[in-house]
This record gives sequence, C-alpha cells and structure tokens, in this order.
Amino acid sequence: MEYPENGVYMVAAYIATAVIILGYAGLLFRALRRYWKR
Amino acid sequence: MTRRDRALVTARRGSVLTVIALLGLVGVYVRALAFTPVERTQGLAQKIFYVHAPVAWAALLAFGICGLLSLLYLVLRDRKLDLLAAASAEVGVAFGLVMLITGPLWGKPVWGTWWTWDARLTSTLFTFLLFVGYLVLRGALTDFEVRARFSAVLGVMALVLVPFIHVTVYWFRTLHPDPVVLKPEAPSLPNVMLVTLLTSMAVCTLLYVGFLMQRYGLEVLRDVHEEEAAGGIS
Repeated sequence: MEYPENGVYMVAAYIATAVIILGYAGLLFRALRRYWKR
Repeated sequence: MTRRDRALVTARRGSVLTVIALLGLVGVYVRALAFTPVERTQGLAQKIFYVHAPVAWAALLAFGICGLLSLLYLVLRDRKLDLLAAASAEVGVAFGLVMLITGPLWGKPVWGTWWTWDARLTSTLFTFLLFVGYLVLRGALTDFEVRARFSAVLGVMALVLVPFIHVTVYWFRTLHPDPVVLKPEAPSLPNVMLVTLLTSMAVCTLLYVGFLMQRYGLEVLRDVHEEEAAGGIS
C-alpha cells in the first residue's frame, strides 16, 4: 500500500517528546537528589 | 515525622511513579511505531497522534487541576493547596510545550501548514502562555500570602479556558479534528489504534501524577527551607 512520505515529521515529534519529557524528569530527579543529600 | 520528611517521602514516591511511567512511555513508543498500522491517507505522520493527543490531555488536566486548586485556595487559604496548584501548573507547562511542538509537526504534513490562528490552536497557545505567566509571577513575588493570592486568581482562569478549549472544535470552524475519545458517542477509531491511544493516555496520566508528586514535594521542601531561613534571620 502507498503512503505519503512524511515519516520525518513523526520521527521529529517522537524525539522532541522524549527529549522534553526526559529532560524535565531529569531536572526533577536532580533537584530531589540535592535535597536528599542535605 | 517532620514536614520535611513527609515532603521527601512524597517526592520519592513520585520518583518511583515517574520511573514506571517512563518505562510505560517506552512501551507506548514500541507499540505505536511497530505494532500499530499506518493510516492510509495521513501516512506515518498520523502516528504523532499517539503522543500529541495524550500529552495535550495531560497538559489540560494539569491546568484544570491547577484551576480547581486555585479556587479552593481562595476559599480555604490552605498553604498546601497553593503549593500543589503551583506544582500542577509547572507540570502542565512541560506537557504543554510537548503539545505545542508535536501539534505543528503533525499539522505541516497533514494540513500543509505549521500553524493556523483558529480558535482551538489560538486558545491553547493563550492558555499555555497564561501558565508561563503564572510561573513567572510566582518567581517574581517573595511574600507567600501575596504570591499565593495573586497566582490563585490567575490560576482560576483555567477553569474557564480548559472547557472552552475542548468545545472550540464544535463552536468554531477549525482545521483541528474533533475529539475521538472525549465525546458523548463511541470512540471513532479502529480498536488497534484505540488501544494504543488509550494506553498512551494512561501512561501520560501516570506521568502527570508522578511529576506532580515530585514537584509538590520539592515545593514543600523549598517552602520549609524559606521558613527556616526567615526564622534564622529574625
């Protein structure tokens, strides 16, 4: 079956989602570790 | 158990939930990319739907809960409600950023444009910027009572804006598709796609709860720290 060739948008969206979600999770983990060590 | 210890336990539990949700997100990626069929007319770009819609759901849930907690704060004046509202707003902004990046990435190949100033997109951007303003406002004010009251008044706006965003696709002419799950009729998707979407929505909801618990714990820890610092000075 023929599909429109637009996979690059999908890849960009999945990468952007992973970067932002993991980045935010990383910030929270780091901030928590700082308090945990006090 | 002190307030500090309770906050650490809450944040720690939030971390565990976040790790579980992140593993779930890996599962969603695998299922969406490898085990969900390609839609015939939109092609691979349609798979953006499995991250965009659930993340939008989590963002609007976060803003809505912030609005509800802000309203409760204005009535009850409980410090915890303000800190929880602030935590929810920040998590909402993180999800909102993903929503506003993945949306145009889906729009360009399907609509032929990255952005259009229609009711759904404009009201969503407006709400996102309102909550960015909410966070900036909180950062600018140091007095707890003033910060809590001012930000609660701003946060309450979400109670109007979130339902408005949901109905824009019915009330106005827009390029944005109608809801496929959050509507009175049965979901309009083949089962295999619906399962992927619902799994992703569950994972994003869990991720929201994990982030919220972590962020709330951190807000309380910062509050305790500020109180101790103020006590030390006086």
